[in-house]
Amino acid sequence: MLNYALRRLLDLLVVLFGVSVLVFLMIRLIPGDAVQILLGANTEVTPEQITELRGKLGLDQPLLTQYAGWLSAALRGNLGQSVWTGAPVSGEILSRLPVTLELTVLPLLLATTLAVPLGMLTAASHNSRLEQVIRFFTIAGITTPAFWLGTLFIYLAFVIAPGWPTIGYVPFRDDPAGHLSRMILPTVALALPMLAGLVRILRSSLLEVLGQDFIRTARSKGLTERSVLYRHALRNAMVPLLTVLGIQAGYLFGGAIVVEQVFAIPGFGRLVVGAINERNYALVQGAILIVTAGFVLINFVVDLLYAVVDPRVEYG
Amino acid sequence: MKFYPAKTFLTAALTLTLLTSAHSAAQTVQRGGTLQLAVDQSPVGLDPHVATAFSTFVVTGQVYEGLLDIDASLKIRPLLASKYTKSADGLRYVFTLRPGVRFHNGDPLSAQDVVFSMDRVKDPKTASPLASRLSSVSDIKATGPLEVTFVLSKPFAPFLSEVATISIVSKKYVEGGGNLQRSAVGTGPFAFKQWVPDTFLELSKNAAYWVKAQPYLDSLKFNIVPDASTRQIGLQSGAYQFLPNIDASVAATLKTAPGVQLLRSQDLAYSLMGVNVSRKPFNDPRVREALNYAINRPELVQGVYFGDAVPAGPLPPALRTYATPVSNFPCYATSAAKARDLLKQAGYPNGVDFSILTFSTIKTVADSAQVLQAQLAKAGFRARVDVQEFGSFVQNWRNSNFDAFVSLNGGSVDPDGHLYRGLISNGSTNVFKFADPVVDKLLEEGRNATSTGSRVRTYAQLQKSLACRGPMQFLAYGTLFSAARSNVKGFTPNPTRSLSTLKTTWLDR
Repeated sequence: MLNYALRRLLDLLVVLFGVSVLVFLMIRLIPGDAVQILLGANTEVTPEQITELRGKLGLDQPLLTQYAGWLSAALRGNLGQSVWTGAPVSGEILSRLPVTLELTVLPLLLATTLAVPLGMLTAASHNSRLEQVIRFFTIAGITTPAFWLGTLFIYLAFVIAPGWPTIGYVPFRDDPAGHLSRMILPTVALALPMLAGLVRILRSSLLEVLGQDFIRTARSKGLTERSVLYRHALRNAMVPLLTVLGIQAGYLFGGAIVVEQVFAIPGFGRLVVGAINERNYALVQGAILIVTAGFVLINFVVDLLYAVVDPRVEYG
Repeated sequence: MKFYPAKTFLTAALTLTLLTSAHSAAQTVQRGGTLQLAVDQSPVGLDPHVATAFSTFVVTGQVYEGLLDIDASLKIRPLLASKYTKSADGLRYVFTLRPGVRFHNGDPLSAQDVVFSMDRVKDPKTASPLASRLSSVSDIKATGPLEVTFVLSKPFAPFLSEVATISIVSKKYVEGGGNLQRSAVGTGPFAFKQWVPDTFLELSKNAAYWVKAQPYLDSLKFNIVPDASTRQIGLQSGAYQFLPNIDASVAATLKTAPGVQLLRSQDLAYSLMGVNVSRKPFNDPRVREALNYAINRPELVQGVYFGDAVPAGPLPPALRTYATPVSNFPCYATSAAKARDLLKQAGYPNGVDFSILTFSTIKTVADSAQVLQAQLAKAGFRARVDVQEFGSFVQNWRNSNFDAFVSLNGGSVDPDGHLYRGLISNGSTNVFKFADPVVDKLLEEGRNATSTGSRVRTYAQLQKSLACRGPMQFLAYGTLFSAARSNVKGFTPNPTRSLSTLKTTWLDR
């Protein structure tokens, strides 16, 4: 187990290095550099001024020099400065990360806590009217994007409770009530599509487990249906759910980015989208590197969790 | 005819009440309060000499002031300079600064700050996009504690309107290491308070503002809300009170919204299609003329601007002294047959294929490209619309890497600003690769003329030669809309998109 964990950690470093190279190249390969964006269309500048500005931003150096400079600084914990304001990039990233993490963790918690009972309910009520109703809502939920739900919620909130603050962001420590009232709608918008997906998966995985021999054995021992479901079936049905949770957490992070746009929440997504649009190189690189690290770590944790949930899983 | 005494009385009473309330509202300004604005983008830095994007300008326009101001009727008015004199040969301008003006850090404004600001804009190290506005200036010096003299190398008619766009920054603050991109110290009605990127930017009232008793509001909060429908619902629900410069389609939906007023003004900015005259088929002036015949501007005004726009000629109707009415241009009478005929004459009897480069961040721009595609098809122009991300668009645009493009050009209060840099041979925004000796001569004449009469004649000639066969197909001047809650008073929209009248804006509570 320890060996496995160490090997995976090493893999993680290789992945991060590869990603840093890719991101570095990609942001520079898309047409339009920082200088072009700054000047935009319809401004009057001479080619000399463009050259001057490019030199000032260090964009006239060969790519390899730029990359080496960035990497060696990054290894020392310095992710560089924002092209526009000169502020350190790491500060901006760190100030945004908690907002998006909150928008990932809250929906994740909400969706999983609801998914387990709902999934069991659908599995237990197999082929009933209730199951059809739940199925209808889960399919609708899976196919409805969170950002659309977000816009719909803002509009509905405005119609039902016009005074309710739904847009924007205030830090929790400044105004806890204001913070939470603004977080409810985006959290629900993100949780619903995820909940729908989880219920479907849990249902099919439960049905599969319930059809297996050891369940029949448990039933024949005279255990109650409740005990069969909770103590035997659920635990075995959790493995596929965990895999999906790991992937969904990543999707949530992506979904949070779009939802931030709709609710005007200054999270990580807004930061990255803005940085790409402005070709704010250091910021894009630093931000994507941190997201990748997060992704790889989540997957790593999920892999380790398999062993906890299902003792049959062994790592060599 | 029947007579309804009760109704008449009621009407009279109501009218009277309305009149008196409107009257008293105009009289009693209420002070204090925060105006919650919603804008789509975070500023790209706050340096008024470097970052000239609109997202920066809405903020810096409140913090900084220039020597002169341009009011809503496009007249040039004194601002930090209380007066100026111009020498008879048009080569020397002397500005007298208003006494008793202070920067937000308490330092008094002096002639040195003006010289410093102008030099900073001219300095290539600043890389200011505004530098060319001072290209005609050969020397700037302080000729007194409150007097600045500009010496021009040759007469330059748009000089005053160009100087009006340059903000005066504090010399002491910048030389003392102040970073203008992250903070701001100006003389304007509002002072920089705090900026949380992508969240909001707050300005607070400059209590020592040189105009007595202004501004009326305690603070301005620019909430950064990227999603258009969120801004709209936010205004309707009262979370925001002011949306500056909104899109025509948003304005159309807000027209009937209760509690919301639309403030409108003519826009100096115009939508246009531009063609690359170094590429076939647009190297042929007959093909460019055919484009104009194929375009149906009134239809475009309806379809894209919901009727709130006017068909565009080379100069905006807001420049009343100079603009030629579009009815004078024969090619503005839409005729697919005429267009096909011209294409045939140019050697394209089977029509032409080309692509239109555009971007999606401004809705009217992307919509215009779509409408044009359909209109042009009727005349044998088979266009492919290529919608790109804005950064890619700018790069291809700057490198003239297009057959044609559709975009929005910011306007200017002087005809020179509208036409010169885009049309002069090798001009800084002449991405069309257009070079025409006659046009060049007229453009130079226009900017160096010393009398308004001769300028009017020059620009009339220019408009005539550009409207049908030039490299730009001028499409429409839109209406500039701002939306506000109905209790927002005292704001006058400005065709330049300046929000300078926020200093006389107040909230009726």
